[in-house]
Amino acid sequence: MFSFDPYSPAVDADPFPYYKTLRDEHPCFWSKEANMWVLSRYADIVTALNDWQTFSSAKGNLMTELPNRAGATLGTTDPPRHDRLRGLVQHAFMKRNLESLVEPIKQIAHETAAPLADMKQFDFIEDFSSKFTVRVLFAALGLPLGDEAQVREKAVTMVQSDAATRQKGPEHIAAYNWMQEYASKVIAERRQKPQDDLISHFSMAEIDGDRLDEREVLLTVTTLIMAGIESLGGFMGMFALNMADHADARRQCVANPALLVDAVEESLRFNTSAQRFRRCLTRDHTLHGQTMREGDFVCLAYGSGNRDERQFPNPDVYDISRKPKGHLGFGGAVHACLGTTIARISVKAAMEAFHQVVPDYQRVQEHLPWMPSSTFRSPLRLDLARI
Amino acid sequence: MVMVTYIEPNGSEQQIDVTEGWSLMQAAMSNGVEGIEAECGGSCACATCHCYVDEAWADRIPAAAENELAMLENVVAERRPTSRLSCQIKATADLDGLIVRMPDAQS
Repeated sequence: MFSFDPYSPAVDADPFPYYKTLRDEHPCFWSKEANMWVLSRYADIVTALNDWQTFSSAKGNLMTELPNRAGATLGTTDPPRHDRLRGLVQHAFMKRNLESLVEPIKQIAHETAAPLADMKQFDFIEDFSSKFTVRVLFAALGLPLGDEAQVREKAVTMVQSDAATRQKGPEHIAAYNWMQEYASKVIAERRQKPQDDLISHFSMAEIDGDRLDEREVLLTVTTLIMAGIESLGGFMGMFALNMADHADARRQCVANPALLVDAVEESLRFNTSAQRFRRCLTRDHTLHGQTMREGDFVCLAYGSGNRDERQFPNPDVYDISRKPKGHLGFGGAVHACLGTTIARISVKAAMEAFHQVVPDYQRVQEHLPWMPSSTFRSPLRLDLARI
Repeated sequence: MVMVTYIEPNGSEQQIDVTEGWSLMQAAMSNGVEGIEAECGGSCACATCHCYVDEAWADRIPAAAENELAMLENVVAERRPTSRLSCQIKATADLDGLIVRMPDAQS
């Protein structure tokens, strides 16, 4: 009998055959391992994303939620509260307000790529993407340099889950608590000495005359740090993997770096790191003959919707000329990723600099060590060798 | 399904069967309408899914809420009385036959 266990290492390694069966045979599937429904078709996921009144985020959006987080962050609130919170931070992440970061990001990319010139083989994540993403985040949020390696390690640990217990383990909770303390220190410093930056504005903002709840400020900043490091880094690992595995696409992007823009969009569709998020039903809802009950959790499998042949022709082909509009690589509707623009700018700058130093390469490991996570999917280590 | 006609700045038209409950922005993105950017993805936070609702429909669609009106101040193309953010218009049976036009620029 078919089963789908988002905690299983087999799903971490290759969820796509499971997704195909889900879409074709069980489009509204109860996963007893995850204790939630799974929606896998593009149209069903988009409909759920647009219907936040039925598919609520207020009980948490991570497949395995962190304690005491739901209800206090952008991703875990519903409109209208969500829209007001988002209005406070969105302007800092809009294209027109990120232009001043483009040159610093390019500079970080060149500085981070330079040491690779002497290496025949390296771990893309350890030696390049992790160093790059943490510095970009620190530049974007104006954080003081010094402890970035530790911040990165905690961000990566807190999104993981334990395959055996199907929960967060003590090490994941400890990393989450560490990150909250770190965020809390930054917030306190900014309140004491406000600067013209996102965290200063946010930590002193009001909605309709009320100061933001302290837990909202703390957990939103914590989540921004986590997403800025882990989500951007995870996606960069997947992007580099695609470039290593698809030599034609890589050579085209090296010859004409403008094509990286299209390659990024296709990678977001093909195997984005943000594979699955969840919602909670506020009322009974029937779909494909199954009645889901109020209070049930529902997994929205973005990674499956992005491979749905009902939306994308030849979905299992990585084709950088596809230009897939409307993909679910950043989620969608009210909860679409806040960092879309900075992610696109950063990945393009990073890979352009990387390709200048390492223009031709292949992967070394046949089997990759995948991060144990029910929500995200990316390799923990990606060894690349020059050709 | 709700039939909506999207007219690009160059005059080309696309008729899309929009699923009820989807926003007009969502259907535009999923069907490759060029004139919509939707930078924020649909949270009424960027003003890059601006459209002009056909005048014949102006009084027939639900009015813009306060946050949409505030965000409309940020559109880069000319703001007209018929300006709306397409992420804030949900397809309902009442809107079958709606026509929307894309502005010259979104950002």
